[in-house]
Amino acid sequence: MNQRLVSTAAVVAVLSAAYTLPASAQAKPDVLVKQRQSAMVLQGKYFYGHLRPVAQGKLPYDAALVARNVAFLDALSRMPWDGFAPSTKGIKSQAAPAVFGEPAKFKEAADRFQAEVTRLGEVTRKGDESAIRAQILAVNKTCGACHDDFRERK
Amino acid sequence: MTTSASASNVPSAREAPLRRGFFFHGAACRAGLARGLLLLAVVTSANAQGDPKRGEYLAKAGGCVGCHTEAKKDAPAFAGGRALKTPFGTFYGPNITPHPQAGIGRWSEADFIRAMRRGERPDGANYFPAFPYPSFTQITDEDLRHLWAYLRELPPNGRVNQPHDLGFPYGWRPLVSVWKWLYFTPGPAAPAASANALADRGRYLVHALGHCGECHTPRNFLGGSDKERLLAGGKGPEGKRIPNLTPTRLKTWSDADLKEFLLTGTTPDGDSANETMEEVVRNTTSKLTPEDLQALIAYLRTLPPLAEEPREKK
Repeated sequence: MNQRLVSTAAVVAVLSAAYTLPASAQAKPDVLVKQRQSAMVLQGKYFYGHLRPVAQGKLPYDAALVARNVAFLDALSRMPWDGFAPSTKGIKSQAAPAVFGEPAKFKEAADRFQAEVTRLGEVTRKGDESAIRAQILAVNKTCGACHDDFRERK
Repeated sequence: MTTSASASNVPSAREAPLRRGFFFHGAACRAGLARGLLLLAVVTSANAQGDPKRGEYLAKAGGCVGCHTEAKKDAPAFAGGRALKTPFGTFYGPNITPHPQAGIGRWSEADFIRAMRRGERPDGANYFPAFPYPSFTQITDEDLRHLWAYLRELPPNGRVNQPHDLGFPYGWRPLVSVWKWLYFTPGPAAPAASANALADRGRYLVHALGHCGECHTPRNFLGGSDKERLLAGGKGPEGKRIPNLTPTRLKTWSDADLKEFLLTGTTPDGDSANETMEEVVRNTTSKLTPEDLQALIAYLRTLPPLAEEPREKK
């Protein structure tokens, strides 16, 4: 058998295995916790720090800034979830035991939030200010509802 | 304390002008000068009848809409249906619109005052204390009349009440008499004549109307409030951890931080309240007048600092 073919195949196999592994499998649990927290903190920055006060009428409506922050939120809102890996269960954080005890319910709450964020993206592209404000508040409820059941303040 | 005795209580600084106006009004009528004082009468008749506008504000300060409105989009306000899960079972807030069958359309003002002050239905049976009458009992007669005037003006809604779903033996109403004997003091409590009128108003907003302690004061296994741990947080009625509102925790929050939180839900660290408290922010604290908000914060500052409740091991 061609020696080169074997070694090339071996390299491809190793590389593709590494590629298909989820990012979470490579990180230590405490790193995963830190990373998922970072994604949450940054969502807070753009959502609680800008989008929600805009919807509440506390900050002026700036269409370009809203569009940018909605796009940021859309990306960030997908990031935390693979950080709640079972391996992180024992690490001190604000994750409530229900995150690991009732993973299906947790996923449901996260999906509900994700769906509202996706809708916010759609509404924002249409550009109707009052619809955008209303959808920001709809997103807000799904943040808080998930925090009600799955976040515990330390 | 009886209802009539409560009327002699010294009103808070805020209510004093209104109440003085009422006596003026009565005297003027007796003297036959009513027409000349028509304007004054319009301003002060709120006392005799209740002013629905004032009642609307008080209903916001009391957060009534939360439990008395179903948790779904476009649910009719005050038509009931919200589920409150507690260790004793699930309670459903009833319809309090003036619908004659489904709501409280057949009630008199006296029925309403009896419900709020004594926790009793018009037929004399006890309400379960999921209806926070241990707090509402402290609401003044005058404010109760304003609230009643407001409720009378709501559009009647025919939404039929859902029965509570309670575990044995909590569903047995006579047991509530025992509970009331142990834990319920009918009000209104005499306002503390402190030197701090602002904080006194805040106390009234926090304890009588806002019923903050219903969640923020821990309860014992029978659901009685632990008065030694007033507003010190711990385990809430739905089994979730509730924050401590005494200076032990809030000392790191400035007045501006608290104001921002109560208006928007945003915490000083850029985070947010959970939905349970956010709803309170939306319906109640963000709707308070600037003076009332300031009073609420001033009162929280006067609380004795209480240690955090030790966490349960899970």
